[in-house]
Amino acid sequence: MKPKTIVVCIKQVPETNEVTIDPQTHNLDRRGLAGIMNPFDKNAVEQALQLADQTPAKVVLLSMGPDDYAESLREGMAMGADAGYLLSDRAFAGADTLATGYVIAQAIKQIGEVDLVLFGRQAVDADTGQVGPIVAEFLHQPQITYAASLRLSGDNEITAERLLEDTKQTLVAQLPAVVTVRSELNTPRYPTPRNIQLSFEKPLTIWHHDDLDLDDSRLGQAGSPTIVTKVYEPKPTKRELTSLTGTPTEAASQLIKALKAHQLI
Amino acid sequence: MSSTTAAAEKLLLQMVDDYTEREISPQDMPMDQAGDFPEGFIQHLTDTGFLGIMLPQEFGGAGFGPEITASVLNHIARGNASTAVTLEGHFKTVDQILKFGTPALQKQLLPTANDRIFAFSMTEASGGSNPLGISSTATREGNHWVLNGDKIMITNGGLAAVYCVLVKTAPQELSVFVVDQDMPGFSFGKREDFIGLRGTPVGEIVMDHIIVDDDHLLGKLGDGGRIGDSAHDDARILMGAVLTGIMEHDLKIATDYAKERKAGQTPLTDLQVTHRKIADIAMRKETTKLLYQRADQLKAAGKPYSEEAAMAKAHGSRAAVSAGDDTLQILAGYGYSREYPVEHLIRDARAMEIAEGTVEKMRSAIAKAEFNK
Repeated sequence: MKPKTIVVCIKQVPETNEVTIDPQTHNLDRRGLAGIMNPFDKNAVEQALQLADQTPAKVVLLSMGPDDYAESLREGMAMGADAGYLLSDRAFAGADTLATGYVIAQAIKQIGEVDLVLFGRQAVDADTGQVGPIVAEFLHQPQITYAASLRLSGDNEITAERLLEDTKQTLVAQLPAVVTVRSELNTPRYPTPRNIQLSFEKPLTIWHHDDLDLDDSRLGQAGSPTIVTKVYEPKPTKRELTSLTGTPTEAASQLIKALKAHQLI
Repeated sequence: MSSTTAAAEKLLLQMVDDYTEREISPQDMPMDQAGDFPEGFIQHLTDTGFLGIMLPQEFGGAGFGPEITASVLNHIARGNASTAVTLEGHFKTVDQILKFGTPALQKQLLPTANDRIFAFSMTEASGGSNPLGISSTATREGNHWVLNGDKIMITNGGLAAVYCVLVKTAPQELSVFVVDQDMPGFSFGKREDFIGLRGTPVGEIVMDHIIVDDDHLLGKLGDGGRIGDSAHDDARILMGAVLTGIMEHDLKIATDYAKERKAGQTPLTDLQVTHRKIADIAMRKETTKLLYQRADQLKAAGKPYSEEAAMAKAHGSRAAVSAGDDTLQILAGYGYSREYPVEHLIRDARAMEIAEGTVEKMRSAIAKAEFNK
């Protein structure tokens, strides 16, 4: 059987929640912030490695961003992935999810003969969860989102359990396909110290604008139909606080009275 | 340092911080209370490759250098000093086999150092800081050596599988042999019930007619004192790193508390008495860090580092006890409670005023080094 190629798309996100908004673009200002691999993407890497344990497969990581995003690619390779690609060019800057998905899809086509593309369910910085489905559309491949389990159920087929708010679905898709995964799927492994060292011997390729077959009108801010008109922090609202005093029984009695007074019980 | 080395070290510390936060720190209080580590804890640490951090890649390790190895222990000790000291005992022993072992001994033993903990044992009931006071012996019988004696207060004693043991090969001659727990005549004795570092097993081994070949001699006959000194030096640097981590833990507890607590209507952060204590803890932490890192830089450069290693431990251990005391005072009743970690950080730090040579012995060594300049 020919070894499969699994591409895992990963994003580097700020390590802190204290990100600011760029007043010009209204986008997140990630400049100068230490980055980590998006936690949901670690689940996707782990799943790819587990699938590679079941069937001969090459696990390839793909990311788009500035040069320092290579750190997250190395981390994924230290977890066990075989190779990494970084899509890095000023022309890609300011891309919304559609423009990002376009470049990633073009890169996946260029990698060639990819059987499965995995994403984390969403990135914890922007929380859109859109890039995976957009890539699936660009590639004209079946997609399964929010997978809480995933297995190869035939030579050319995957079965996933999809967890939604109030229902559970079991879906089967023909390969090639795109899947976004939830954190319930697995517990990502730690990169061992030895594998951290060995990861620097694995190939990491940087693709710039001219290395890919791209339509320039679809790139960066100019190729992004999303317009962020306003972003603001919700102001904390002050609410009335009443202290319940006395013994636990007395306090409980006061609580019941108060809830009844507000017609909550 | 190459950019690749720097990137690998950054990634290593990122993994260590993640692992410490999720796996090691949560066990800090339970380990102190139980006087032991939980089942599966050491195996998970081993499976994640911690034992091989400083082991060269040719033996299956990661091959990181001494400075980053000390940093790893520093980061672990911020969450759990006992686990850092367990690794310290392993690393210092592996270091001596790398320095003094024959290629054959290294090839035989070191690949197993990724999966098995190694320990260095010098102390006996009759001799601790005075090595010639020991009574364990290795005697020549035919083509073999026969080892007899009891070694006590061994860091990782009972947990480790491989032991470097200091023995007498003549009345005034000290040598080091390597023995394995699987050898006939090897057994474990009493485990100590110490007041601090309670998640680090410290115990006794008994050697009753253990027979080993010449290739289990570390270095040459009579090298025991030199190898013992070397093991102490390496351990003292790593202890400096652990002590710095304990003080970083103190500082976090003290500053977090001070930011939340008021004395009457005045936040603790506005009180000069708090400022003084926080500043003192921070200065003690930084001076210890600079001392151990200085010793490590000299070691990495192949220069003498005994005096600097002694300074790191002698200064750092008292500094960490004092830092814990100041932290306890800031937290007042909460600091004195067993429900909070401060009191055990003092007990943990106190161990290092004794282990790997007492601070009194450190000061004598430092003074002698100064007299000889």
